[in-house]
Amino acid sequence: MKRRMGLRWLVFGVAAFVMNFPVLATVVTAFKSPGEVTRNASLWVHAPTLDNFALVLTISDRLNIYHYLYNSLAAALIGAVLPMIVAFPIAWAMVRRGLFRQVLFPLVVNLRALPLIIFAIPLYLMYAAVGLLDTRLGLGLLLAVVNLPLTLMLLVNAIAEIPAELEEAARMDGARLGTLLIRLVLPLCRPALITTFVFGFITAWNEFLFGLMLTTRDAVPMTVGASFFFATSGGGVQWGVAAAVMVVAALPPLILGLIMYRRISGSMVAGAVKG
Amino acid sequence: MIKPRRLENAILAGPLVLFLLAVLGFPVILSLIYGFSDTSFQTLSAPRFSGLENFRDVTTDADFWQAAGFSLRFGLLTAALECVFGLALAVYLAPLIQRHGWIVAVLIVPMIVAPAMMGLMYRLVLHEFAGPLPYYLYHWLGWSPSFLGPRNVFATVVAAETLQWTPFAFLLFLTAYQSIPQDMREAASVDGTRPWRLFWKIELPMMMPTVFVAMFIRFIDGFRVFDNVYTLVGAGPGGSTTSMSIYIYETFLRKGEIGKAMAAAILLFVSAFVLLSLAQRMLNRADR
Repeated sequence: MKRRMGLRWLVFGVAAFVMNFPVLATVVTAFKSPGEVTRNASLWVHAPTLDNFALVLTISDRLNIYHYLYNSLAAALIGAVLPMIVAFPIAWAMVRRGLFRQVLFPLVVNLRALPLIIFAIPLYLMYAAVGLLDTRLGLGLLLAVVNLPLTLMLLVNAIAEIPAELEEAARMDGARLGTLLIRLVLPLCRPALITTFVFGFITAWNEFLFGLMLTTRDAVPMTVGASFFFATSGGGVQWGVAAAVMVVAALPPLILGLIMYRRISGSMVAGAVKG
Repeated sequence: MIKPRRLENAILAGPLVLFLLAVLGFPVILSLIYGFSDTSFQTLSAPRFSGLENFRDVTTDADFWQAAGFSLRFGLLTAALECVFGLALAVYLAPLIQRHGWIVAVLIVPMIVAPAMMGLMYRLVLHEFAGPLPYYLYHWLGWSPSFLGPRNVFATVVAAETLQWTPFAFLLFLTAYQSIPQDMREAASVDGTRPWRLFWKIELPMMMPTVFVAMFIRFIDGFRVFDNVYTLVGAGPGGSTTSMSIYIYETFLRKGEIGKAMAAAILLFVSAFVLLSLAQRMLNRADR
């Protein structure tokens, strides 16, 4: 029995190493000086340095990483919160009154399976007309569309688990619907709201295609900003700096994701099974 | 009593409906207008009706069919590989996970990293001089393939996608595996059933619905792939890694052929819609 567990540990180790190899290599490279990058491509750093991070975190003409981080933060917040606001009331109506389940629910849930590029082009043209191109609000609105399907599903699940008697008791006491929703149902949904928010925030932060198409300068998010460092304009890519940028860019979702990994994996499974 | 309740329902549904109309309804109308007219960025405000011309342009474009072929092969192959690896990992590691739950967190890290970032990270990993993978291959074997060359690039992007999303399949299968009632396994082990037989005769059949779901979700995601392929190799040598999404993106932003890009997007939408309805019908039938 002991030996079999040993083999399982080995398989786990190999799988984790292979699947996480790019992340590992990036972290290692971020600590290499420019000289070492050209001499030593192995996973071992002979003379670790923080210079790359110092360079990345200093504002210069060529790079202001705080600008990208702020854009991503603002757009991801809109992209995570807005779907909850628009989906919460209708989710309640779907569960308690059985309304809108025939058309609206499948319509929204199936949005998830469509290629994003289909929306990107007409929205680009619409944004160009109303002046939302290259704005954080414009990007955030699109990220909200991306997050809407899973948000609606998770909220419907959460409300369905609240005992209807609780609501009836409050109704007997004469609570109006608005009060009931905000004072009673919303607090009871808190765990689901947190999960939905974290999941939506990570998804929005990691989105790339919309950022690439709809922003050019002012609202460029971190994922797109990071890809600029790989544009080989004169002298080739500075691998150490590029790696440090990627570490900074990947850190916020990773921290959130690892703290809440149980909830995240739970909602991924819920999203897959109900769809 | 009826009327206030109707008003209430309208208010409850209002935010979502308005949001959908604003961000999706309007663009749908736009795409129909532009899909059937002759437009470039210069004549954006005055689209000229041109009937099915854009659709003819798209369907006679060899690049479009190459992109469709790439997406189809890429989606099927990555979905199959991810499901096989994910299933094997989930079933084999389940006893370990029962006692050490944290190892799930280590295995799902690739999923939390943005696909676009993953593509960039692979650029580093596979780079001739700065990349660790060619370094070790040279070191141990004295030889390293050109990963992004015309001959190997398809295998490379398939491997990159598979390694990032196997954790997703793994997670679904792990949940399905853990929800198989324990007494079924115990009954089998009392009968002296070997673990292999247990897997083939009892566990796998019980997980079959999850296999379908995982295959379907991963196929859809692979079919519409953009981020990681685009940041790793772009359209690829000779356009060989142009997926449908990359084809539409390039037609639109690089070449400025708005009508043609829109027509391709409409075709993509229709095929995705047909596929989706078929899959749902299949799943519903399997449920019964």
